[in-house]
Amino acid sequence: MAPDRTAASEHMMTQAPPRAAARSYRERPVGLAQTEAPVEGAVLVLHSVTKTFPNGNTALRDVELVVPEGDFVFLVGPSGAGKSTLIKLLIRDEIATEGAVILDGHDVARLSRRQVPRIRRKIGIIFQDFKLLPTKTVWENVAFALEVTGTPRRQIAPAVDRVLSLVGLAAQAQQLPGQLSGGEQQRTAIARALVHDPRLVIADEPTGNLDPLISWEIIQLLLRINELGVTVLMATHNAEIVTALRKRVVALEDGRIIRDEIGAAYHRED
Amino acid sequence: MISFIGFSLKRAWLGFWRNSVMSLAATATMIFMLVLLSCFFVILTGLNAGLQFVEQKVQIVADVRTSAPDLAIASLRDRVAALPEVASVEYVDPTEALRRFRVRLAQQGREDLTQYLDSNPLPGSIEVKLKDPQVFGNVVEFLRADPTIQRVQEVQTLIDRVLTVTNLLRTGGLVVLGLVGIVVLFIIINTIRLAVVARAEEIEIMRLVGASDAFIRWPFIFEGALVGLLGAAITLGLMALAADPLGRVMTSFFEVLPLQLGSLGRDLTVVVLGTGVGLGVLGSWVSVRSYLLK
Repeated sequence: MAPDRTAASEHMMTQAPPRAAARSYRERPVGLAQTEAPVEGAVLVLHSVTKTFPNGNTALRDVELVVPEGDFVFLVGPSGAGKSTLIKLLIRDEIATEGAVILDGHDVARLSRRQVPRIRRKIGIIFQDFKLLPTKTVWENVAFALEVTGTPRRQIAPAVDRVLSLVGLAAQAQQLPGQLSGGEQQRTAIARALVHDPRLVIADEPTGNLDPLISWEIIQLLLRINELGVTVLMATHNAEIVTALRKRVVALEDGRIIRDEIGAAYHRED
Repeated sequence: MISFIGFSLKRAWLGFWRNSVMSLAATATMIFMLVLLSCFFVILTGLNAGLQFVEQKVQIVADVRTSAPDLAIASLRDRVAALPEVASVEYVDPTEALRRFRVRLAQQGREDLTQYLDSNPLPGSIEVKLKDPQVFGNVVEFLRADPTIQRVQEVQTLIDRVLTVTNLLRTGGLVVLGLVGIVVLFIIINTIRLAVVARAEEIEIMRLVGASDAFIRWPFIFEGALVGLLGAAITLGLMALAADPLGRVMTSFFEVLPLQLGSLGRDLTVVVLGTGVGLGVLGSWVSVRSYLLK
């Protein structure tokens, strides 16, 4: 036994260095160095992303975007500029024709079917139309996100209570969405988006259906979530809010990023 | 795993009742189709039993020489009975043959002329019932070779005709059953698809919050199985209520012994339950699949 083992370990030692070198070379995807070494502290990286649909329409062209952890980014641009397509690429509802979308260090196009749900749990997503289930209460709507991802029952109640008090809906927990105002419905959706402790919250026109006052309430909530360390990417047409907050603004037009400025307004200021 | 199954079953049950109109429509379609299927199944079984009954009547008749001694006839009967293809052998003596001839004439309403004869002109005969009506060659050869036998009545064409008709009816029945099955499949899949489409928003939300495919799929599959199970149970209940009148029709029309109804009930239960649950599961699987493939 003993001599054999020595021989084996000697063999391994002499073989180890070249083998290790070959492996790291083979595993590094050509042109996708980010997969192995994500941009330091970045939650999201888009590297020369192009999306062309089967009908020939190109929705995104050569998009480069790096979103560091804890950032708050407004994604602006006219309808049809590619905002929705970009969001669909992030949640892997669509796959980029060229380039790489790297979320939390994972190239989403390379995920297996089984891994896709797991990466989606790192994203909380909020929509203009809330997408709440009308037959479930506020509490059940939020708990639903945990139930369908196989969270153990005893962990669900504390997590739901926590996010509901965070968004200020603890008192409305047993009401149905139909009994709530638009702002309260959106806050329910935000609670649902947060219940998985996501790295990134994507808000797709979250204030599109809300009046100005309520819109500000929702923005305040998103800012507070951002202060807690969650990265926020918000697509919006609301120029007033974008200009007032002076956050990072990424402007899309015709599928290209035409502006990426920190502390910017909704429109270009020359 | 157990909590996953519990979750799926609970969601299936809630889903069924939350969308009660859709679910009951699917169940009603299922019942209608399963009743149709059951009727076909019963008719086909009856037909089969009837055909078997007809086939059993096929037999080989060999006339015995009038000069043959009783001992030789008895010996022949025993030897024929020992053949592997033979189910039973009966010797009809000339007196019995004449009696049967007179009965037949009376049934046909014709005048019995045999009473004017001073002796019995009919030969005795050996009637052989076969285990399988298609295998008769050996027995015919054996009888022909025996000196006691005057002639073997031509059976081949009769057997061929009976078999052609019965096989045709059997194949036709199976084809019709298959067609009904396909129609049922499409209707059920479409109905369940409607129920799934009604819940498209829920599926979308599940995908967005990161539910795995299994968590999305299995509640719907269980729901489909529930529709199938409920449909099958109600169908079997209806069939049980109809069993008595049906049984009478079967016995009188197809000449099936009541004994065979027991196994028919068992077969029908298996077929209806299997088809109902199978169609429900398949329908859900196909319907949910299109949402998961995105």
